[in-house]
Amino acid sequence: MSESNEGRRIEKRWRHTSPLAAIFYLGKIYKAIAQNAVQTFAPLFALLVAAEGNLVGKVIFGVIAFVTITLVSAIVRYWFFRYRVTEDSVLIREGVFNKTQVDIKFDRIQAINTQQNIVFRPFDLVTVMFDTAGSSKQEGHLPAIKSELADSLKARIRSERRSETNIENDAAEPAPDSRILLQLTKLDMVRIGLSSGRVLIILALLGPLMDNIDKRIEQFVSESDVVAILNSAGISVASGAGLIIGAVLLLVALLAGASIAGAFLRYYRFELRSEEATLRSTGGLLTRHEHSINLAKIQSLRAIQNPALRLFRRYRLRAKQASSGKSGKGKQFDVPICNAEQLPQLSNEVFGAEFASVDLEPRSESFQPIAMSYIRSRFLVFGLLPAMVTTPLFYFLIGKIAFVLLAWLPISALAVWHHHRKFGFVIADNGVVLRRGFIGYQTVAFLHRKVQRINVTQTPLQERKGLATIRFYLASGSLRLPYVDHTVAKDLRDYILYKVESSQLAWH
Amino acid sequence: MHNTRCEVIPKYNGRQLYPEICMFENPEISIDELPRIDTITWLQMDEKYARRKLADAAITFFILLFSIAMLRTLFGIAFADDGPDINLSWLWLIPFLVGMPLFVWPFISVPKKGYAVRDKDIIYKSGVFWRTVTAIPFNRLQHVEKSSTPLDRRFQLASLQLFTAGGSGGDLKIHGLSAKTAEKLRKFMLDKIGSSIE
Repeated sequence: MSESNEGRRIEKRWRHTSPLAAIFYLGKIYKAIAQNAVQTFAPLFALLVAAEGNLVGKVIFGVIAFVTITLVSAIVRYWFFRYRVTEDSVLIREGVFNKTQVDIKFDRIQAINTQQNIVFRPFDLVTVMFDTAGSSKQEGHLPAIKSELADSLKARIRSERRSETNIENDAAEPAPDSRILLQLTKLDMVRIGLSSGRVLIILALLGPLMDNIDKRIEQFVSESDVVAILNSAGISVASGAGLIIGAVLLLVALLAGASIAGAFLRYYRFELRSEEATLRSTGGLLTRHEHSINLAKIQSLRAIQNPALRLFRRYRLRAKQASSGKSGKGKQFDVPICNAEQLPQLSNEVFGAEFASVDLEPRSESFQPIAMSYIRSRFLVFGLLPAMVTTPLFYFLIGKIAFVLLAWLPISALAVWHHHRKFGFVIADNGVVLRRGFIGYQTVAFLHRKVQRINVTQTPLQERKGLATIRFYLASGSLRLPYVDHTVAKDLRDYILYKVESSQLAWH
Repeated sequence: MHNTRCEVIPKYNGRQLYPEICMFENPEISIDELPRIDTITWLQMDEKYARRKLADAAITFFILLFSIAMLRTLFGIAFADDGPDINLSWLWLIPFLVGMPLFVWPFISVPKKGYAVRDKDIIYKSGVFWRTVTAIPFNRLQHVEKSSTPLDRRFQLASLQLFTAGGSGGDLKIHGLSAKTAEKLRKFMLDKIGSSIE
């Protein structure tokens, strides 16, 4: 360990974090409990039932026991957490029974992300999370440390990186410059909330129902005893139906409201900055989150536009870093919303001069379509085959009504055709942009030299038509480009291999 | 792309993201003169590999035979006195229907596999119906693993697993190399990884 290195200034003392770290652990414990609510509460519940005495007493006892146990365990965890910042790493010792010591080397840290909740704010404390290369999740954190210490750690990482990349600039380096790339308004929060996936699904499900829902309700209500109940309550049938519609609408409004509130919580006063080749975002109402990503470590940049975002003429951006071996879930950096002007600005910020022509706008003219044969092959698999199998089967079971299943043929044909239209690709000198989608659009851009492995596959059908499917393996996951001309695929593969093999730049 | 003497190095506000590396030679390359994978000569998998696959098939076949024999015996014991009179002889068809293709398949699939090692990458092809050609540049290789099962060793065969960044999706496993070739390739690629990292 580093004690053997003489002459270096080494902090010998193991330090505690602020006692408020207990709050951080309390939050963690409650989160864990909420995630497996049944298992955690079952023994407690059993205990309560088994114990003698009146119910109120039991509940009060239960609540007190619960609060005490969690509080004590949070405090114990805080007490056993010690850390030390040495010359080249951060050492963390934690654990009550299972003691662990983590040694986080500065040169392995990709980024430092911080969180500041509402209790920490007046005390100027933050929780630091180290994002290290090669770990499946953020492997180290320092709960409730002074923000000055966090800043000094960030400065350490910056200087580490600078000495790694360019030594000359180091001397003439004033304070880190930083430019604001994007600031979100309150209106953006509403947009984020309304365009979140969950709200969209519910709206989509309710949409077609809305037209005749009132009729059905009226019919149902008039046929049943509900009328009597409602009448006795002084409510007419019509207003009763209105009541139900109102309730449904209220539910939708509540969901949308919750989603918007969530957006406020997570992204309030969201700000995206560019600092020394690093993107840094801050935002959050109660808990301030700070995330950063080193531009050189970005493997792919994705722009997402679902129907709601399309309506708002906005995009969601996601930059992916190398993912670790097992989880397959890459570390990512999100920009929740940006407009049509910011989209090219941000993508140019990420790819710079190397891929200046990058255009993530899904309706861009530059996208080339994939081959029409894609429609045929998908229709065979997802349209014709299921219809041919299910229709005769159901014919024996339910008779002629089974022919309704044949309606699947035009539906699937239409869906496949629509899906095909959304595919597109752009091959540039230094990078590729791919587009796909079904309901919305997703475009993703990456640099040739970030490719790790490349596959060209031909199915028998493709072989007859002179087509092929390309799969690009990036450190952040793989991307597929189906049904392109075989020669185009081979040329692209050979060119990408040339680009990768002649590149002297680090890919990570 | 035709006239780049050194790579486009992304600049950020006049500051470089990457160290300057223009000292290395990078002569112009015409897009038509790029090395082509189409023109390479493929190396076949080791000739013993098909036999190795046959051994696999034989094992599967005997396991099937054995389990059906067991099933019939158990059935016989269970319904020894007054069982339903079920004829289970058709069960013997399964090993032949399932097993026979297993014996034929290696002679179809193994010749379709092949690999080629170039100065800067390794290329592997496989697939009878879905034909895939995959290429891994050595400067993206993380590490190489050689492995052999007891059965592999019986046939002096070994497998190589090539790991790239980005999880299991990027890994490539090449079966059916002779143990000697696998070891040579492993050393060669480790050398390449070492020199690309510097």
